[in-house]
Amino acid sequence: MNLLEGQDVTVHFNVHGGVIKAVDLVNFALPQGQIVGIVGESGSGKSTFARVLAGIQIPTSGSVSYLGKPIQDGKITYKGDLRQAVQMVFQDPYGSLNPRMRIIKAVAEAVRQHQNVEKAEAKEIAQKLLESMGISALDSRKYPSALSGGQRQRASVARALSAQPKILIADEPTSAIDQSAQAQLLGLFNELIKNGLSIVLVSHDLGVIRYLSDYVYVMKDGKFVEEGKTEEIFNNPKEEYTKKLISSIPGHKSH
Amino acid sequence: MTSNSLVSINELKIDVRITKSLRLKIVDSATFDVERGQILGLIGESGSGKTMLCRSLVGTLGRRGAYIAGGDLVFDGIDLITAKPSDWRDIRGKRIGYVPQSALAGPNPVMTIGAQLAEAIEQSENHDKDYIRKRSLELLEIVQIRRPEIVLKQYPYDLSGGMKQRVMIACAIAQQPSLIVADEPTTGLDVTVQAEIMDLLKRIRSEFSTSIILVSHDLPLINDVCDDIVVMHAGATVEKVSSAQVSHSLHPYTRALYSSRIDLVEPKGQLVTIKGQPPTVGQWPSGCRFADRCDFVVDSCRSASTVPLVSVAQDHMTACLRFDQIGK
Ligand SMILES: Nc1ncnc2c1ncn2[C@@H]1O[C@H](COP(=O)(O)OP(=O)(O)O)[C@@H](O)[C@H]1O
Ligand SMILES: Nc1ncnc2c1ncn2[C@@H]1O[C@H](COP(=O)(O)OP(=O)(O)O)[C@@H](O)[C@H]1O
Ligand SMILES: [Mg+2]
Ligand SMILES: [Mg+2]
Repeated sequence: MNLLEGQDVTVHFNVHGGVIKAVDLVNFALPQGQIVGIVGESGSGKSTFARVLAGIQIPTSGSVSYLGKPIQDGKITYKGDLRQAVQMVFQDPYGSLNPRMRIIKAVAEAVRQHQNVEKAEAKEIAQKLLESMGISALDSRKYPSALSGGQRQRASVARALSAQPKILIADEPTSAIDQSAQAQLLGLFNELIKNGLSIVLVSHDLGVIRYLSDYVYVMKDGKFVEEGKTEEIFNNPKEEYTKKLISSIPGHKSH
Repeated sequence: MTSNSLVSINELKIDVRITKSLRLKIVDSATFDVERGQILGLIGESGSGKTMLCRSLVGTLGRRGAYIAGGDLVFDGIDLITAKPSDWRDIRGKRIGYVPQSALAGPNPVMTIGAQLAEAIEQSENHDKDYIRKRSLELLEIVQIRRPEIVLKQYPYDLSGGMKQRVMIACAIAQQPSLIVADEPTTGLDVTVQAEIMDLLKRIRSEFSTSIILVSHDLPLINDVCDDIVVMHAGATVEKVSSAQVSHSLHPYTRALYSSRIDLVEPKGQLVTIKGQPPTVGQWPSGCRFADRCDFVVDSCRSASTVPLVSVAQDHMTACLRFDQIGK
């Protein structure tokens, strides 16, 4: 059974008289222990769909199920224990880190919120989490503004992991950081998979998707226009749109 | 400085005023030339001083509380360090075009595209309306914006990110400058749009022989588009090498940057990451600033008073005391 599934997910936005079909009858599956990528250009609907998976956005129609059970129960999404199971990280980690709180404190508070532990223990757990994300004890005492973009992004992943999630949904996690910070973060995602996490990776960067994903969905105008195993999609794209995306990668062979 | 150089930067130092008495060094030191008609790539981690260098070329350091504290900065025979505000009026926009960092900041949100282009075209000249309109349309055509008559009346929020960036480039080339400084012009844009913008920059270079300084984090892109590559680390130029020779880099930092390229490893393969973080501004160690992150470090790297940028081959300069050991 798939860990997470979307069936005929549709999201409409009403904007000045018109309707935007941000997500249009999309079917999706995240198998246990895999990294599934969603790639597409801006405005294609990636973030809206990611928010549906995370339970933040209620679909206009269609449904999402976690281990076969709908995540929505009446008005409540991800009830009880399920709430912790799916965590999301965003492109701009400033949004998820309180600027007036030292990193260690922000993560320790998240630990206490999700795990039934005392303050001192929470701090220890937070410290370990941050260290596993490559943030030293010295740096974890800093405020978000004193960290580099890459460090902030890894801190926000540490914060998400404090909920001990089964699924991490990462929306453009590498878009705001430079290439060497990106390599660090992707290396960490690789490690997290080995420890049993499953990841939905949303990105407009095909390099990142190719490197990390087992399976890829290509999104355009709210629809998945092509899907398949990563090497299949990159070596043998069927859709014109996918071909165009791949040939736009800098330094791509057919350039 | 060779006879063909348009820009010559030598041991340039940039400081920023923090308080009345406190100064912080943010660039120390930058050294490289830009040849006429060349596309030069400027790379290095965030905070290495790339944007400040760009600003020094358009005379807008002061807006960030920064100023040139030493060295030489010469553009087409003009000393930019002693340039007066009246000199800058003839240089900024006219002879050096600037595409500032962040597509989001983009064009002025409360002015129509037509008004912004008019401003870029006029500068201090007085042109008649017809000329401005004709030139505006011509510029939008050069940057391949469709339906230019309509776009002239639109506001930036009507345009996509790629269109906004094209407008910024149209403004930058309005006066046919001999140099364009483009600071991360495609960061955050889609790959297809990025490819189009890069083609546009290449075309501008070949049609008008414009020199271009292109800042980017995207090393495959830099390799693809640029003739020469300048690598900045903690405020200093650590290497200048042609893109054709970059795989023979003799600086451990450049080599580390390039080995973290995800397009060169197998999917999920081992990524080489650079140890630690770049040293913080104001806390640069003495000796080589890369020493704490370097696999080739020896005691003398830390005890050296300076690490000079030396010529190691034709058109190849590197600032590593152990360059003759690197790549062996
Ligand atoms: N809250 C909203 N209200 C109205 N339109 C929206 C909203 N969120 C997204 N959209 C629109 O839905 C489409 C898809 O957006 P998004 O999911 O953010 O795409 P992506 O993440 O692929 O860039 C876009 O046209 C966007 O303008
Ligand atoms: N006004 C300022 N006051 C203090 N520090 C600054 C100021 N502007 C820039 N800096 C610092 O100068 C360094 C170089 O910045 P910048 O040129 O923007 O780097 P890059 O473009 O390479 O990312 C950074 O560490 C930045 O924090
Ligand atoms: Mg998005
Ligand atoms: Mg910058």
